[in-house]
Amino acid sequence: MNEVTVTLTVNGQAHTVTTAAQKTLLYLLRDDLHLYGTKDGCREGECGACTVLLDGRPVNACLVLAGQADGREVVTIEGLAADDRLHPLQHAFIQAGAVQCGFCTPGLILSSVALLEQHPHPDDQQIRRALTGNLCRCTGYTKIIEAVKLAAGEMAMEVEHD
Amino acid sequence: MTELQVVGQTVVRRDNRAKVIGEARYAADIAVPGMLHMKIVFAGRPHALIHRLDTAAARAVPGVVDVITAADVPVNVRGLIRPDQTVFCDKKVRFEGDQVCAVIADSIEAAEAGARLVHIEYEDLPILASPEEAMREGAPLIHDDWPGNICYRIQLNKGDVDAALAAADIVISGEFNTPMQEHAYLEPEAGLGYIDEEGRVTVRTSGQATHDDLRQIAAALDLPEDRVRVIYGAIGGAFGGREDISVQAALAVAAWKLRRPVKVVWSREESIVGHGKRHAYTIRHTWGASRAGELLAAKVDILSDAGAYNYTSSEVLINFLYSAIGAYQFPNISIDGVTVYTNNIPGCAFRGFGSPQSIFASEIMIGRLSEALGIDPVTIRLKNCVHNGSTLATGAPISGYIALPELIEACVERAGAVREGARWRLPRPQQPLSPNKRRGFGIAAGMKNSGFGWGVPEGSYARVVLYGKEEIERAELYTAAADVGQGTHSVLAQIAAETLGVPLEKVEMIVSDTASAGSSGPCSASRMTIWGGSAVEAAAAGALASWQNEDRPASGGGWWEAPKTTPLLPDREANMNFVSYAYGVHAVEVEVDVETGEIELTRFIAAHDPGRAVNPQQVIGQLQGGLVQALGWTLTENFQTHGGHIRTDRLSTYLIPTIADVSVPVEYVIVERPDDVSAYGVRGVGEIGMVLPAPAIAAAIHDATGVWFDRLPLTPESVATRLMEHAR
Repeated sequence: MNEVTVTLTVNGQAHTVTTAAQKTLLYLLRDDLHLYGTKDGCREGECGACTVLLDGRPVNACLVLAGQADGREVVTIEGLAADDRLHPLQHAFIQAGAVQCGFCTPGLILSSVALLEQHPHPDDQQIRRALTGNLCRCTGYTKIIEAVKLAAGEMAMEVEHD
Repeated sequence: MTELQVVGQTVVRRDNRAKVIGEARYAADIAVPGMLHMKIVFAGRPHALIHRLDTAAARAVPGVVDVITAADVPVNVRGLIRPDQTVFCDKKVRFEGDQVCAVIADSIEAAEAGARLVHIEYEDLPILASPEEAMREGAPLIHDDWPGNICYRIQLNKGDVDAALAAADIVISGEFNTPMQEHAYLEPEAGLGYIDEEGRVTVRTSGQATHDDLRQIAAALDLPEDRVRVIYGAIGGAFGGREDISVQAALAVAAWKLRRPVKVVWSREESIVGHGKRHAYTIRHTWGASRAGELLAAKVDILSDAGAYNYTSSEVLINFLYSAIGAYQFPNISIDGVTVYTNNIPGCAFRGFGSPQSIFASEIMIGRLSEALGIDPVTIRLKNCVHNGSTLATGAPISGYIALPELIEACVERAGAVREGARWRLPRPQQPLSPNKRRGFGIAAGMKNSGFGWGVPEGSYARVVLYGKEEIERAELYTAAADVGQGTHSVLAQIAAETLGVPLEKVEMIVSDTASAGSSGPCSASRMTIWGGSAVEAAAAGALASWQNEDRPASGGGWWEAPKTTPLLPDREANMNFVSYAYGVHAVEVEVDVETGEIELTRFIAAHDPGRAVNPQQVIGQLQGGLVQALGWTLTENFQTHGGHIRTDRLSTYLIPTIADVSVPVEYVIVERPDDVSAYGVRGVGEIGMVLPAPAIAAAIHDATGVWFDRLPLTPESVATRLMEHAR
């Protein structure tokens, strides 16, 4: 079996992993680093449950080969909370009732992180466009949009306080 | 009653923190040292005899530990309702998702390589790809012991339908077709089988009823039920699709035979091929009414595709005994329904359990009648819908307060309808300037039973243990109830806290493990909050009595029996088929592009009665989720099979709604009318939101275009084609 050695930063920590060359970043995270927060929902980039940030941009980890992550920086859902303090988006998803089964939640939150980096005050249309690659079958999406707006408001206040 | 402290409050769900930080553990997230990996080999063909199963080449693959087959299953039978399926096929395969064997290896790659080398010699049989083909004279039998491929039949007669139709001022007929629907829960099936520290065959997976899974595993392994254990972790959605087992039996057989942990994770394609679907139905109605709009007679013929195995096909059909005529009253009724074995994927439970199909047809019938008689859609519904004192088609009294008439009024008033004497004037949507676009307004009303009913024994187990000295410091709540994502566990904790009079934080839950609690029954039929909740209330009250008796720790609970129901009885007076119901009314404004067939929702109002909302935010969440699932079924989801083969086995070909597809802000009108059979008066809300969007949208499209649509889904292509045909 062909193997590949990948050096990458995950949630701020450097890792060097030797793994099967055909393995995707999704399964490198899950099997090799035991980060199970990144979910496998379709393996073809349709559902977005495996969304992670790769150098700050949201990608479907199931469509990225492990080797392609070499030398790059990955943020998964496990890397968002600072110590015990939730990221405003994590907090907002809870408050807004935007989580039901929760399987899509990590991907949705990471796509939302990327959105708010680019557009700190997104309108509904921008939220829809940014999250259209993240399927949710439980919530009907309304509360997810509310959560993103709630977080945007909170983050704006934090910036003011800073 | 003193004012409630916890029930009725929007509190934070207790599972959500783990879910937002990535710590919630779903079935695929469990890994243990030394575990093996399993790849299930599916039939891949809809109907064939197995002449030879050769596993030698698979076993020779380095890393393959074993290939388990029918020969490894002590009692090779499974089935939630009817034991008509095998764990692994031995002689025959009946649909392409039938499981033939499973390869177990020390890596996923080796298991997959082995699975590709399993050699099965088949003799293909004629494929019965529709109920019509399967019912044809001389069609081969899919199951030898089910003549005519008839899986189940229902009949109900009340009054004299033929005479009433002959005497009616107006008679209208229609045929309606509803498609299969894929649950598309985001978490594909997965699980880990192992032998636990007490030697029990244990399966940790995602399902809807730990004890139903356990019962089928124990039967297949011929083990006493206390030698088997089923545990659920976080569950990534279910919607009915996890009522029947998928990977459970195969995992149990593997772990039991090999005495080692064995893991399986299905791909999306395996999930879509491997679990059941919402039933496709063909429904034919003939209704008679008086000129004044009184419903006089309904003749209903129903045909559904059971697929290769019963799953819950018989039970879904039985529900048509009341739901076939919608939420209306007829003095004369004749219902004849059949569900038929075919070589399609089995039909199974899916949110609404037949009601989305039945209400789609019956609501369009009432809409057509309204049009034909020149009586507005609100008035004709109010005149004929169930109200306090009404009975079902079976003769059963409809217990509890019936909020449907006031929900109809509340919903249409919110939409801008105005009562004018004995009639209602509906809002007239402003027409767009674009000549291709037309707007229309439509409504739909309906009901859905909560709880199984039909005489099925019902109840739920719960136990509460209280610790402390002077004050209750900690309460343990034991329940096997599944939390499939809808928030069951949090709601049950609220009910316990309320009954005990303690803050919510003091309730600690021990959940979803057959080793620590008796059966709660499944999370289905909108039943867990009403019956699981009632069991928790009883357990908490028992524990409180024990506490007051100075017991330390104090405990209470056990099996709580729900009020009895009856099956369909010939004596109409003796029927009591359900004891709890949910009602709802939806009003929709749509914009139809008559050239492209695209439908845009421009306004949506949903009126519902949750009895009492335990957690108002979760109630809205259930309604929103059901409503959007219905939008998918109505507009975008197009499940296709051809000759028994599933053609939409991916999320790139089976299109569930995305966040971009749902842009209409839905307005909710909540009217709380507590029920009298459940703890705190709660009613089920899990399914009713799914039941009404399709007919409401169809009515609005008719209002916009003058064309009635009697077939789903309403994809742009199908809408444009139908509008063109109509214009000719």
